[in-house]
Amino acid sequence: MPTVVVMDVSLSMTRPVSIEGSEEYQRKHLAAHGLTMLFEHMATNYKLEFTALVVFSSLWELMVPFTRDYNTLQEALSNMDDYDKTCLESALVGVCNIVQQEWGGAIPCQVVLVTDGCLGIGRGSLRHSLATHSQRSESNRFPLPFPFPSKLYIMCMANLEELQSTDSLDCLERLIDLNNGEGQIFTIDGPLCLKNVQSMFGKLIDLAYTPFHAVLKCGHLTADVQVFPRPEPFVVDEEIDPIPKVINTDLEIVGFIDIADISSPPVLSRHLVLPIALNKEGDEVGTGITDDNEDENSANQIAGKIPNFCVLLHGSLKVEGMVAIVQLGPEWHGMLYSQADSKKKSNLMMSLFEPGPEPLPWLGKMAQLGPISDAKENPYGEDDNKSPFPLQPRNKRSYAQNVTVWIKPSGLQTDVQKILRNARKLPEKTQTFYKELNRLRKAALAFGFLDLLKGVADMLERECTLLPDTAHPDAAFQLTHAAQQLKLAGTGGSEYAGYEHNITPLHTDFSGSSTERM
Amino acid sequence: MKIFSESHKTVFVVDHCPYMAESCRQHVEFDMLVKNRTQGIIPLAPISKSLWTCSVESSMEYCRIMYDIFPFKKLVNFIVSDSGAHVLNSWTQEDQNLQELMAALAAVGPPNPRADPECCSILHGLVAAVETLCKITEYQHEARTLLMENAERVGNRGRIICITNAKSDSHVRMLEDCVQETIHEHNKLAANSDHLMQIQKCELVLIHTYAVGEDSLVSDRPKKELSPVLTSEVHSVRAGRHLATKLNILVQQHFDLASTTITNIPMKEEQHANTSANYDVELLHHKDAHVDFLKSGDTHIGGSSREGSFKETITLKWCTPRTNNIELHYCTGAYRISPVDVNSRPSSCLTNFLLNGRSVLLEQPRKSGSKVISHMLSSHGGEIFLHVLSSSRSILEDPPSISEGCGGRVTDYRITVVPLASVIVKESLTEEDVLNCQKTIYNLVDMERKNDPLPISTVGTRGKGPKRDEQYRIMWNELETLVRAHINNSEKHQRVLECLMACRSKPPEEEERKKRGRKREDKEDKSEKAVKDYEQEKSWQDSERLKGILERGKEELAEAEIIKDSPDSPEPPNKKPLVEMDETPPVEKSKGPVSLLSLWSNRINTANSRKHQEFAGRLNSVNNRAELYQHLKEENGMETTENGKASRQ
Repeated sequence: MPTVVVMDVSLSMTRPVSIEGSEEYQRKHLAAHGLTMLFEHMATNYKLEFTALVVFSSLWELMVPFTRDYNTLQEALSNMDDYDKTCLESALVGVCNIVQQEWGGAIPCQVVLVTDGCLGIGRGSLRHSLATHSQRSESNRFPLPFPFPSKLYIMCMANLEELQSTDSLDCLERLIDLNNGEGQIFTIDGPLCLKNVQSMFGKLIDLAYTPFHAVLKCGHLTADVQVFPRPEPFVVDEEIDPIPKVINTDLEIVGFIDIADISSPPVLSRHLVLPIALNKEGDEVGTGITDDNEDENSANQIAGKIPNFCVLLHGSLKVEGMVAIVQLGPEWHGMLYSQADSKKKSNLMMSLFEPGPEPLPWLGKMAQLGPISDAKENPYGEDDNKSPFPLQPRNKRSYAQNVTVWIKPSGLQTDVQKILRNARKLPEKTQTFYKELNRLRKAALAFGFLDLLKGVADMLERECTLLPDTAHPDAAFQLTHAAQQLKLAGTGGSEYAGYEHNITPLHTDFSGSSTERM
Repeated sequence: MKIFSESHKTVFVVDHCPYMAESCRQHVEFDMLVKNRTQGIIPLAPISKSLWTCSVESSMEYCRIMYDIFPFKKLVNFIVSDSGAHVLNSWTQEDQNLQELMAALAAVGPPNPRADPECCSILHGLVAAVETLCKITEYQHEARTLLMENAERVGNRGRIICITNAKSDSHVRMLEDCVQETIHEHNKLAANSDHLMQIQKCELVLIHTYAVGEDSLVSDRPKKELSPVLTSEVHSVRAGRHLATKLNILVQQHFDLASTTITNIPMKEEQHANTSANYDVELLHHKDAHVDFLKSGDTHIGGSSREGSFKETITLKWCTPRTNNIELHYCTGAYRISPVDVNSRPSSCLTNFLLNGRSVLLEQPRKSGSKVISHMLSSHGGEIFLHVLSSSRSILEDPPSISEGCGGRVTDYRITVVPLASVIVKESLTEEDVLNCQKTIYNLVDMERKNDPLPISTVGTRGKGPKRDEQYRIMWNELETLVRAHINNSEKHQRVLECLMACRSKPPEEEERKKRGRKREDKEDKSEKAVKDYEQEKSWQDSERLKGILERGKEELAEAEIIKDSPDSPEPPNKKPLVEMDETPPVEKSKGPVSLLSLWSNRINTANSRKHQEFAGRLNSVNNRAELYQHLKEENGMETTENGKASRQ
């Protein structure tokens, strides 16, 4: 989940904060202090997160495009100038553009808005934006809700009392509401000082930037892992089951399946599974990822040399061309697989399926999958030359069952032509002729289109009169018989009009003497 | 998302009164003259469908699309109304398919134009529709049972699509009032029943249809709330294709569908089999498959749908598929499709192609010329899905490689001995099992000879893992431990061990090897340093290296031979594959130069060994080579390895 930090650099942010007996701070210093803390946290515990920094007043500017280089972000914090008034709407429009350009509309992003709660004056102020909200057209749509899945965290360099003395808090709450309730407002508890700012940012970190740790298990083998990005809670059906589902911290592998069988399944999200080394106290030593820090380096080298189940699993899945099915919760599964980023690098990844007993129709119910040895016969064949997947649906889809649709005249004409073409090749095409004839008959009966049956009967009779002298005598008999049967079906009432009744070829025998019956 | 929204239950109420037997007055030519027909034949007069036929085939088309895209949890109940209501199916999943409905409709047949119009009314059907909406579906039942005390969360909503020929606007209002009242009554009944559910929300879609050329007596009216439970909308539509188009629009609205046109599909011409032209096929699917377009406002890629229907279609370009592509795509959604024009030749060509198991990637036409693959069409067991592939930048790009993380530097994970390891633990073995184990062992011997790295790739490893021969030594030791642990199970287990021991170095040689080995190791250490840089890079360059070898091979052959000519000289690891070009008979070392001949004979021997009992000599051999005249060696101290060389000189 990439993060956009949106920092208010309007003049009001330079308002001094009175702190007894120490040097004078401005609100922007408090903000920078809080953000430094956030960046430091991310640099150590959340280092794969992409973060961008936007500053705004009446204009906005992208100071640092999405990066994992927290030094650059930190530097930018100390190079911010002061500008004019606050104009939140245009900044939020800017955030929309930046995120969509970089990540498209499907990747969830977190927007951290840092402001002092002074929302501007006149045109472009948040009050003005909200007042005109209902009069918007499609072209100047208010940027919230963001056109991508999002969380909007508003970090106020002000305490609750200050915000409540004006309508600022109400306006900010409106913003969260407009973002479909996705987000939260943070205010400073008590007097404005570095310590209280720290505790406010600490709450944000706890809420949104704590790494997700889990234990990956397969039989007796286990590994401590970090799952990145954090899997977000998922709501299956807001009405029946409104409580968001959260994935287990024990990730149990329940089976393995060929990549060809799982066949590019749709997933809710995907995550890196990074093995982590824990020391005896259970504290994280590191993910083993190389870092500049030398102490960490040696720790990493030690960690690198201790066998880890993740590496074994990754290698095995890669060599075998398989994925591991992992249990994420009750009736919730995901898959683990080897994902190559480039020729050199590959990784263990986990994708989450939609919760439910049957997330992939072509695998059937997850609960009914089992080991090959449980099957009476190896479903993959003795020579591994077949597969029980994909499962066939009980009913065929329309495109797989030759349905009849006559909405366009061309549909009807094609079906009639098919009959005619085969009629001219009787008796060789007797089987196809009757197959097509019966298909047309069934559809005409279902649609109550009896005129068609009569029409086609007339047409077959005419064909009979047009038969060339060289035609096989059987052709004439079959055409007459078919025409008669169609007419019977069209008149209704008799057994010949039954939907399930099929017109069968007239039994003729031209091999011997003329013994055919009619 | 709500499972039990209005689209969970759809009731079709189709008018079966005498006036529905009237012609829609839209002619269909069915007797098309074909070329090379006899001249002077007058084609048969065109026919026209009745209002009933138009209504039925349009509603069947609605159901076809719905069943294709939502085969489960979206249910239809079909009711025909004349002097009474005929309910053609139930909410059960078994009743939800076109064949069932078609058969039931055939049984009803077309309306009887001579029936007494006074006895017939659409009202019977509407009342039955409300009644049926109160009936619980198996999905609702299941959800209620599962939720126990929260059962009230399971909603009961539905939609009634009524196709009739109304007399006037006030007639329409009368129908609405009737539905309103019936809902009120039935909700009271349902309140006191365990197997009925009260209707929370009902959407009434009244479609007034009339013959082409007539004036409509009923006016259109957008959706309006008649009560908290009932909304109603009125559509006044000419019969024939106009009615079909209307229902097509409605099915898209009701089920949140969107349209994608696949363009540039190459297809053989019917008339000229050796030419191919490009075709377009329009597909319907859930609109979430367009989520990336909708949100990013990428409207420039959309065009208008061919039929001029209300919705836009998004055009995606066919990319000719690579064959047999087993790849795990990052797919953010998969949605069932339904072709708009299911029986047209382009549609059926596309769907048959997919049903045969091929997948097609789809590309967004971009003005800039950059190629963006955003979707994939693929069938899974007779169902075609439109997969949405992630085409934006990945937030997981440039991740740390697994080899850089915990356990990444350990290179001796056992992955290849798997068949043996899983078999040897069995209590009894079959002949086949023994062969399998032997095969595994031979494979390992073969790999060691070729100095292949043991799998679990050291790919991307920065630091040095254990030296390769060290890896093999550890592997052999572990394998021996594993097999020894099971030899008491049976004689066959014993045979596996024998095979393993035969393949490992023999004790008489051990001493000798150690002597030589020590010397060699010293030297290897030095040469190892010299090639250290290379060593670090080489693991992922293996394939590149092999290619290079073939080219460089000849030039370096001479040099390689010099090295080999001295049995004591070390084999620099980077040079080893070179000697695969060599024709020297194998020298008797567990690792070292391997010739084509030895590779070949090893292969043949491995194959043959499965067919007969092993000779005692071979069983005791080292690398399938028995030492003859051992006494001579003892006498004059000549090394066996020189036999090989002597023959070449």
